[in-house]
Amino acid sequence: MRQMAIYGKGGIGKSTVSANLAASFAESGLRTWYIGCDPKSDGSMTLLHGRKIPTFLEQMKDGGGEVVFQGFKGVNCVETGGPLAGVGCAGRGIIVAVQKLAKDHFREEDDALIYDVPGDVVCGGFAAPLRERYANEVYIVTSGEYLALYAANNIARGLANLGVALGGLICNSREVENEREAVSEFARRIGSQLIGFVPRSAVVRECENRGMTVVEGAPDDPQAEAYRRLGRFILENRSMAVPSPMDPEDIRALLREMR
Amino acid sequence: MRDVLHPRPNPIIAAMYTLRDLDADVILMHGPAGCGFMAARRLEEAGVRVMTTGMQESDLIFGAEEKLVRILKNVDDRFRPGLIGVVGTCASMIIGENLDGAVKKAGVKATVLPVDVHGCSGPNTSGAIRTLEVAAEKEVISFEERDRQKSMLTRATAIERERGLTSREYLEPHPGATKLSVGREIVNVLRRGGKVAVALNAKKETAYGFADTMRAVQYARDRVGGETVHIGNLDPGVGLPRIRRYASNILRDLGEAGVAAPALTGGLDEYPVAGEKAAVALAECNADLRVVAGLPHAVPGLRKEDVLVTDQPRELRNYIDQGYLLSVGEVNTHAEVMSTDRVLFSELGNTIREIVDRGYA
Repeated sequence: MRQMAIYGKGGIGKSTVSANLAASFAESGLRTWYIGCDPKSDGSMTLLHGRKIPTFLEQMKDGGGEVVFQGFKGVNCVETGGPLAGVGCAGRGIIVAVQKLAKDHFREEDDALIYDVPGDVVCGGFAAPLRERYANEVYIVTSGEYLALYAANNIARGLANLGVALGGLICNSREVENEREAVSEFARRIGSQLIGFVPRSAVVRECENRGMTVVEGAPDDPQAEAYRRLGRFILENRSMAVPSPMDPEDIRALLREMR
Repeated sequence: MRDVLHPRPNPIIAAMYTLRDLDADVILMHGPAGCGFMAARRLEEAGVRVMTTGMQESDLIFGAEEKLVRILKNVDDRFRPGLIGVVGTCASMIIGENLDGAVKKAGVKATVLPVDVHGCSGPNTSGAIRTLEVAAEKEVISFEERDRQKSMLTRATAIERERGLTSREYLEPHPGATKLSVGREIVNVLRRGGKVAVALNAKKETAYGFADTMRAVQYARDRVGGETVHIGNLDPGVGLPRIRRYASNILRDLGEAGVAAPALTGGLDEYPVAGEKAAVALAECNADLRVVAGLPHAVPGLRKEDVLVTDQPRELRNYIDQGYLLSVGEVNTHAEVMSTDRVLFSELGNTIREIVDRGYA
């Protein structure tokens, strides 16, 4: 089973990329899991026609109930859930959910498992999918903007500390000048690769408004093909390496050179 | 910073004991059911009700403020306490539980002291200091009393670091010298007409055990001769009401045993500074044998031939390794001092009595 964790700066489009990846895997016949790890528990909605599902941790707290929901083409969707903003410990929640899911739910014959992990890796809990070796390859979603690359670099530092392999960077375009080149160069500098480029497209929002991924809602649109292509690259990817982060100042210099 | 490997008290337990000293009716631990369990048993023997919010995994993840509010109200209705202490634990504090907010929300009739401490929040005394600060803010004690105790606690931490349980990387428990050898030493000095000085420098309730050394030495003197000098931090006019009660009770029992008016070095919570006064008194009395009971290492200028009495097996190791070979462990009374209001019969005390009565010396 391919076990992937998708990291990246908050708001960069991890959930959109993750859900579309899951949809493209399922569409090609793979037994696929989507594990949303954001306490907001909204990542799976486009796989479930806009339905917000009960979360794993809420169900655990209340003593049981369904936690796996079949979405588009049979994608197994789970939202770990977590506390309201400002209380409890979201990190602890991810640790517990990831451990219990691995123990009780995933099976040998599953093909692909995608952890959609929230924002920056703010505490140990957010690294749980990696530290516990539940995910064995990581993809970082970024744009060509400084703060997105800065966050990506921080994540790379976390991976380096934990000795976890990075499969590559996914550029979710913000239509920054020379974006592909900038992200490509950044990837090379940290000892990784640009695995896919997802263009910016209005069809993404339009499908989201209908509670769907692009793969489901606009299957013939070039954007859907972009996600499918990304999915193929990821499945074919054999090039994984523990990254070596850059000095943040050098990221600025890199972006100045690219202009 | 030196690593210290052996287990030792932490701020949570110190907060619980300080709440007992404040005569709290209920201590509510906000944390897992087992946190502070052994300390809770002792405190319940001392008449304090200890309760727990019994946090579970889900409480860690989602926070347990509602649970704390619910249990506080329940405790208030059920036991009608005057004073409740809510004590944090590692679990609740690491996830950032708001004890103060929960106490305000519960709005119970009792005075409630939220004590925001956990196991990693500093030396054990930091838990006591935090409790005193909250108690002063809530007008349970005066600011002067808080400051007096804070300075004692700061001194205590420094003494432990310099000479006590945190002065070494690891202290293996040691059984100490036998009570028989130490008892014979004491009785023989008296029998030869010598002078034995007993300095009690004990912490709070532990004095109920250590004070028996004074009684037993006096018992021996009355039967075999010699001279005695008694020194103790038994001032009944210092400290919180509970601590003063201990001192009065002990002075009463000592008086009944013929130990008249020991020289007072301070109150039972003043052992860090009372030790210095004890040292002066010991130097002045020019005794042939000196017995220091309680926290001997808080008494400066100890001599290798002194008898040191402690209730801590690791402290025995500390003393014996430093060459104080007449260090003796009074370990059994440790469990009973919490629930008594009379001086207990100690092992060393009973050994001295037996030596005298049966002529072993």
